[in-house]
Amino acid sequence: MTKDNVHVQVGNSIGEISDASARSEQTADTSVPAIEMVDLCKSFGKFQAVDHLSLTVQQGEIFGLLGPNGSGKTTTINMVSGLSVPTSGKVRVMGYEIPHDARRVRQILGSVPQETALYEELSAWANLDFHAELFGIPRKEKKERITKILELVQLLDRKDSRVGTFSGGMKRRLALGRALLHGPQLIYLDEPTLGVDVQSRRAIWDYILSLRDQGRTVLITTNYLEEAQALCERIAIIDHGKLIAVDTPDHLKQTYGGSVIELETATPSASLDAIGALEGVKQVKQDGTYLTITTQGITNVVPQIINIISQEGEIRNISVREPNLDEVFLRLTGTALRD
Amino acid sequence: MLQRLSYDLRVIWACAKKDIKSALIERTFTIMSVFLPVNFLILMSLFVLGGGQAPTAVVMQDTGPYAQQFYMAMSHAHSFRLQQATAAEANDLIQAGRIVAVVTIPTDFDLRIRQNQPVQVDVQVNNLNTDFTNDIRRAVPLSITSFYARAFPNVVTVVPREHDFYSQDTDYLPYLSVSIMVVAFMLGALLPAGTGAAREWEKETMKELLLSPASRWAMLAGKMLGAFLMSLASVTLVLVVLIVVVGIWPVHWGEMIGFSLLTLAIFIALGTLLGTLLKQRQPVTALALGTSIPLFFLSGAFGPISFTTPVVQFLAQLFPVYYAIVLQQHAFHNFTLNTLGTGVNVLILCGYALAVIVLATIALRRSTMAH
Repeated sequence: MTKDNVHVQVGNSIGEISDASARSEQTADTSVPAIEMVDLCKSFGKFQAVDHLSLTVQQGEIFGLLGPNGSGKTTTINMVSGLSVPTSGKVRVMGYEIPHDARRVRQILGSVPQETALYEELSAWANLDFHAELFGIPRKEKKERITKILELVQLLDRKDSRVGTFSGGMKRRLALGRALLHGPQLIYLDEPTLGVDVQSRRAIWDYILSLRDQGRTVLITTNYLEEAQALCERIAIIDHGKLIAVDTPDHLKQTYGGSVIELETATPSASLDAIGALEGVKQVKQDGTYLTITTQGITNVVPQIINIISQEGEIRNISVREPNLDEVFLRLTGTALRD
Repeated sequence: MLQRLSYDLRVIWACAKKDIKSALIERTFTIMSVFLPVNFLILMSLFVLGGGQAPTAVVMQDTGPYAQQFYMAMSHAHSFRLQQATAAEANDLIQAGRIVAVVTIPTDFDLRIRQNQPVQVDVQVNNLNTDFTNDIRRAVPLSITSFYARAFPNVVTVVPREHDFYSQDTDYLPYLSVSIMVVAFMLGALLPAGTGAAREWEKETMKELLLSPASRWAMLAGKMLGAFLMSLASVTLVLVVLIVVVGIWPVHWGEMIGFSLLTLAIFIALGTLLGTLLKQRQPVTALALGTSIPLFFLSGAFGPISFTTPVVQFLAQLFPVYYAIVLQQHAFHNFTLNTLGTGVNVLILCGYALAVIVLATIALRRSTMAH
């Protein structure tokens, strides 16, 4: 699934709600980055959780923060939301500096924490009502906004049910709705689809993509590379608190991944050296009549390879496998993402 | 400025309302918060009622007027719970461990008194418990003196002339009940406040609060208000039991209400502080229950703390329970239990309240979800 084929169906609802949130929107200035981290450090005693991290997230983009467990993602996010104070360095959110303007930042930030932080003993409505009070949503608008949000996340018919009775996917949807209730400019989602079924995951992806269409900035941390690929315009990979790479998923794959070309020939090839000498070819392996060629990134060597092999004889079969983010991640961090 | 204040008030009320709703739904901790203080009151009262006077059988081998007067003197000694029995019944009772002592008034009691001859009143004591044994040892001679003073006023020439501080004596139970009430208030405040604060951390909902633009003092005030309103239920129950069931009426109603609210404020702030620091409901509950009993015994529950040793007095004065007991004894019985005066005692309690509220605010401000 790619971000192009996700059906966006909820944009207008969010738009109406966000328009009503004048206070939250008034600071919007598209020239400033949504998030700007400069030389950011956080240490706990001798442990350096975040190590001189510099990163900029532009307004209106969906940005993914990837890293193995303990890599410093959550610590970074905590500093962005003002929950944790940096040891050194600077964080600015929509131009507001943390921790000095932490309160203003919280006003324009919508958060969906990994643990959802919902009051399970209360109803869906009571959860949103409490959130509305905490964020000072005008009383006149409160009821209408909560209703619209519940409609948006398809939980209006369960508004009076206790959250404790909801499935994982419903809780995630409610948490997302709650994060949108006060019309934030920046939305942060920590593992938004962790533990939810495929159907709910699809719905959540739809919501997230619709946020981008509304011009909102979305920051996601995820352990699902497929999710990052589907949603994020840019990805930052961090490990041991350091920024390893930041780019679009395609460019990361081009730079750090490798296409795999698999060929079946009529007779074993005698042109392995010629193929290996081609620019962009990283590795050539032959097993009988089967040839496996690994390239550096996505290159245009396929026609040249076909040209060389076809001079020797018939090509019975050929397939090209795209590089994936798993390979990129493995290469950059030396570990699989879910380790 | 006004807008900000209005927003803060909304946050305070929202937090209070939400905590009350959550507590009412999660019944275990609510039941604990409401009924534990009342239980405490009942248990301690039973302990006092059960242990006040020594059960004693009197074998009346003589039923003459002097023997009757002696029996009356014993019954006025405030140390015996008397019952008349035959020698065989009394023997069975003491053998069965049902009574502490058997007092036998001999057959020639009246005769020998009339003839000015010495009389031996046999006292058989089950000296298993030193407290009761000493009560018997003190009370029997006291009864004899009392008997002589009434039967032969001309013979007994040394009599006490008592000057009382207070217009009436206060029995053990009314005095103790007020102390128990203060400890019950302490529990009734500590439990809902402590568990209410710890619940946010335990269930990881604290992030919802910390990620909002609401000021932390407003959240804290809201949580305290919620706990305060919930604690009123247990306080009302305790007061109803004390006033209606036990029958102890306060002399100064206004003081009683004011001191009760002040006591609640301190322990609600302390509970919120504990909940914020411990972040788990079970340790908060254990600590609240664990500290209430030592504080009860330390803070002058059974009598004025000034009658005890300097070390105990020093320790007692470190804790607000002591000052709360002093003030409530004044409100209920018009007692003055220390030389500080009501105003200073109130100020000390206010100081405690302020200090704990400040500490709780600092604890919440310094709390992060840091990983």
